[in-house]
Amino acid sequence: VTDVVLNADAIARLIPHRYPFLLLDRVVALSPGMSAEAIKNISVSDGMLAGHFPGRMLYPGVLLIECIAQLAAVIYGTEAQRDTGAGDAEVTDRVGYLAEVRQAKFFRPVYPGDQLIVTAHSGPRVGGLISVSGRISVDRDVVMTARLAVSQRPEQT
Amino acid sequence: MTMTLEAVRTHAKVRKQLCGQVKKLLVDRLELEVDPEMIGDDQPLFGRGLELDSIDTLELAVAVQEELGVSITDDDNDCLLSLNRLVDHIEANR
Repeated sequence: VTDVVLNADAIARLIPHRYPFLLLDRVVALSPGMSAEAIKNISVSDGMLAGHFPGRMLYPGVLLIECIAQLAAVIYGTEAQRDTGAGDAEVTDRVGYLAEVRQAKFFRPVYPGDQLIVTAHSGPRVGGLISVSGRISVDRDVVMTARLAVSQRPEQT
Repeated sequence: MTMTLEAVRTHAKVRKQLCGQVKKLLVDRLELEVDPEMIGDDQPLFGRGLELDSIDTLELAVAVQEELGVSITDDDNDCLLSLNRLVDHIEANR
């Protein structure tokens, strides 16, 4: 049993993603602005698996990348709250965008029944961009790693 | 402070090595299609120089941090103007 740092409702208050695109079930460790760890359970009832693929259900790799991006949004959203006292709505409005995916490696497929442990660590920040390194594992196996660049704060349009 | 000729020569040699190392780092990490030795020490990194973009800059900061142990933040923006400036920054901070 791991600690619940943010439950699903708390995550939904912090980032703008919603069904069917809110992917993280629970945040179990969090150091705002630095790193975080989250859980995502892969269930056969996930509509995505109906089409990916019929008769051979496996969780899409691009959504694994998105899991890391959403965890990054949690890391920076909670940092903004800590530093500026911003409310949930304000933080949600200012969520950054994905700017780059680098060295994404998928070591083995993810199937219904797998429990993903998603970790993200914040790296250097230059010119409004932040480097994030992410890793997802199931039990003791690393199933994917990737490095992302996310924008710190998009231009208001 | 006055340097002896020997010290100047040693410094120049170390500097040249570091420049070569950074050029190789640039080409390897940003997957540039140029020969590292063809990059001039005064060559701008952006615009008409190596034509890097802001996303490359971030990767460069990651690479310099990982391989040389020197961090680059927004306060060090000038060091990204040219290869020489970048090497100055690395020399001063490692």
